[in-house]
Amino acid sequence: MRTKKSYFVILGVLLISLLAACSTTTPNQPVVQDQPDPVEETTSSEEVVSGEDTASVEETEMDPVTIQVFYPIAVDAPITDVLNGYIADFQAEYPYITVEPVFSGGYADVQTAIQTTIDGGGQPPAMAVMLATALYDLINADYIVPMDGYINNMEDGNAYINDFLPAFLENSYYDDQLWSIPFQRSAVVLYYNVDMFNEAGIAVPNSWQSWAEAAQALTVNNGDSTNWGLQFSSDWPYWLFQPLAIGAGQNIFIDDCHVAFDDPAVIDAVQFYIDLSAEYGAMPAGVQANWATSATDFASGTTAMVAHSSGSLTSILNQAEFEVGVMPYPGKEADTYASVPGGGNFYILNGAPQEQQDAAWKFIEFLSRPEYVADYSIQTGYIANRFSAYETNVMQTYVNDVPQALATRDALQYAGAELALQNLGQVRGIFHDYIQRAINGEMSAADAMTAAQSEAEAALVDFCP
Amino acid sequence: MRSRSARKQFNPLVYILLAPTAIFVAVFTVWPVLLSLYQSFFLQRMNIVRFREPTFIGLGNYITLFTDQYFLQVIKNTFSYIIGTVPISILLGFLFALLVNRKLRGIGLFRLAFFHPMVLPMVSAATIWLFFFTPDYGLFNTALGFLGYSGSENWTGNPNLALLSVIIVAIWKNSGYYMIFYLAGIQNLPSDVYEAAALDGANGWQVLWRITFPLLRRTTVFITTIAFIDAFRTVDHIFVLTGGGPSRSSTVLLFELWQQRFEYQNIGISAAITVIFVIILLAFTITNFIVSERKEG
Repeated sequence: MRTKKSYFVILGVLLISLLAACSTTTPNQPVVQDQPDPVEETTSSEEVVSGEDTASVEETEMDPVTIQVFYPIAVDAPITDVLNGYIADFQAEYPYITVEPVFSGGYADVQTAIQTTIDGGGQPPAMAVMLATALYDLINADYIVPMDGYINNMEDGNAYINDFLPAFLENSYYDDQLWSIPFQRSAVVLYYNVDMFNEAGIAVPNSWQSWAEAAQALTVNNGDSTNWGLQFSSDWPYWLFQPLAIGAGQNIFIDDCHVAFDDPAVIDAVQFYIDLSAEYGAMPAGVQANWATSATDFASGTTAMVAHSSGSLTSILNQAEFEVGVMPYPGKEADTYASVPGGGNFYILNGAPQEQQDAAWKFIEFLSRPEYVADYSIQTGYIANRFSAYETNVMQTYVNDVPQALATRDALQYAGAELALQNLGQVRGIFHDYIQRAINGEMSAADAMTAAQSEAEAALVDFCP
Repeated sequence: MRSRSARKQFNPLVYILLAPTAIFVAVFTVWPVLLSLYQSFFLQRMNIVRFREPTFIGLGNYITLFTDQYFLQVIKNTFSYIIGTVPISILLGFLFALLVNRKLRGIGLFRLAFFHPMVLPMVSAATIWLFFFTPDYGLFNTALGFLGYSGSENWTGNPNLALLSVIIVAIWKNSGYYMIFYLAGIQNLPSDVYEAAALDGANGWQVLWRITFPLLRRTTVFITTIAFIDAFRTVDHIFVLTGGGPSRSSTVLLFELWQQRFEYQNIGISAAITVIFVIILLAFTITNFIVSERKEG
C-alpha cells in the first residue's frame, strides 16, 4: 500500500514538473510577433531593402518587427555578452526591429530545433547560425532561403561579397545562388611550441618528412608518461584529417555528389597519420578522444605540437608560458602547406514571414560591418572573416599584439573546402567509421578507404541520380 | 436493475481526476507511437527532394534495417549495454541502500555521496569522466596503475573498451538513484518480522536473503522497470564520451535513432526504429509485470 502511494506521489511530481516545463517553454515558441496592426503589414521586401542606406530616416515609418535568432552557445567563447552588446547597438540604429537571441546547445542542437519546428508545421526563427557545411541538407529540406535578392539590392553587392575571405564562402553557394553569410569562422592549424623547437635546434617543419622527424625528436618518454611531439584528436576525425589529404594532393571529396576516399593521395595521408605513431612513435597510438586535453597539454608545455582549431588560439595564448607558433599543416612535398576552414554561417529561414526575413538580413549586414567583424574576432578568437576588418584600427593594434591572429588567417590561403556534400551526416559517418578502423589497426589504410568509398557511393545514389 | 447499478457506479469525479493524465498519455505517448507506426511504412527523407513526400513501401524500412549488418550491430550493442548496466546498477543500489540504512553519525553525508551523481547533469558529468578516461594521466589509468596494472588503456578510443566506458558512467550515474528507492523500501519494512527472525536466531545473511530481499520484491520490480527504461533512454554521455564510436562500437538504439532522424533526416527509418524500440520496451514491461504477479499468487 505504502509503496503504491509513493508511486502516485512520484507520478504527481513528474506530472507537475512536466507541466511546469511545458509552461516555461511556451514563451520561447517562435510565434511572438506582436505587431500593433497586422492589417497594415504590406511592406514588401524591396521597400525594406532599398531603405537600408537611409534607415535612420525611414525607421519612423517602419512597422515594428521582432525576429528570433537561434544561436549555438556551446562554442569556445563567451558569446552571450558579446552578442547582446551587438544587438543593443543594432536596435539603437533600427528601433523598429527587436532581436530576440535564443541561445541553445551546440550547432547540432540549433539545427535539430529548427528541423523539428519546421517539420512540425511551426514557424521557424527568422535567422540562425548553423554550420557552413549544413548547406545541402538545409537546401534539400527547403529550410533556408537564398540571399541573392538582398545582395542585388545593395548599392555595391559585389564589393560586399568579395570582401569576405574566399575560403569562407566555399560552402555558401549552390546552384549559382548564395545561401549563407560567413560569421564565426575558424581554420585547422598546427600550433607549435617555438621555445622547444629553438632549444632542440629544430627548424619549423615544411614537409611531412620534416614534420614527422620534428615530432619524433620532441617526444620525450618520462617512464610513466610521455610528452608527445604531436597530438591529433581523432574521435571526430574528418576535420583535422582533411588538411593531411589536401597536403597529399587530393581533398577527401570532389563535389556535392562525389567523394575521393579511395584516392591514392587520401590513402597516403591515412597511412602518414598511422605512421606518426606506428613508425615515428611521435603521437599516441589509436583513436584519441582528446580534443580538450590535447589543447591543454600543448598550452601547459607537455606536448610540442597540436593540430587544432584556430578557435582555441585565445585560450592557448592565455595559458601558455612560452612562445606559441601557428602555421598551416606542412604538406607532403617540401614547402607545401594545407588547411581547411570550419565554423558557422548565418542562414535566413524559410517559413519566417517576409518582414522578419528582411529584418534578419539587416542584422546580418550590420554584423558584417568591418568594425563588428574585427571586434568579434578580438573578443572570441574566431578569424575575422572580411579583408576590410583587418584595416580597422582595433584589428591592427590587435594583430600587433597577437601576430598569431594573422597566421591563422594566412593559413587559409592553403585551405581546401571543408567536407560538405549531399547526405552529409551519413557520408561523414561512413568516413569516420573506416578511418577509425584504420587508425585503430583493424584494417589497412587502403582497405578501409576502399570500403568507405563504396559505402559512401551507395549512400549518395539516391541523392545524385 | 442492471443499468441502474451501472449508473450508480459511474462517478464523474474519477474521470475528471484521470483526465489530465489520460490526455497527457494520449497526446505525448499514444499519438506519437501510432504516428510512428504509420510513418514506418513509408519512404520519406527530408533531405532528398523527391522523397520529401512520403511513399508507401510496406515493410521496406524494417527489411532495410534487419538486413543491415550495421543496424544488427547497434541492436547487439544495445543489449550489451543493458546487460552491462541494469543488473549491476540495481545490485549496487541495493548494497548502497543497506550500507546507508544505519544509525551512524554523518550518515546523511554518505547518502548524499551516493546520490549526488543523479543530481549532476549528465553532459557535464560525462565531460569530467572524459578526463578520468584520458589515456596518459587520467584518474582511471592512474588508479589501475596503483593497483599494479601496467597497461595504460585508451578507454574511449579503443573499440573494445568504448562501450564499457559508457557503461561504467551509466552505472555510476544510476546506482545512487536506485539506492533511494531501495532505502525507502527498506525503511517501510515491518519491524515485527525482524523481531521474529531475531527470536528464531536467524543470522545476517538469512535475514537479508530470506526476509529483506523477498519483501522488497515489488520495489525490485519497479526499479528493474525504470532501470531498463533508463538503459534505453540515457545517451547524453555517449555524445560526450565517444560520439557513438570509434567505428560505431558504442552506438546504441536511441543514439542511432537520433542520427537517422536528425542527421540523415530519414523519417521512415527513424519511425521504424521507434516502433522497434516501443515493442522491446513493451515486451519487457509486460513480461516483468506478469512474472511478478505470478509470484504473488
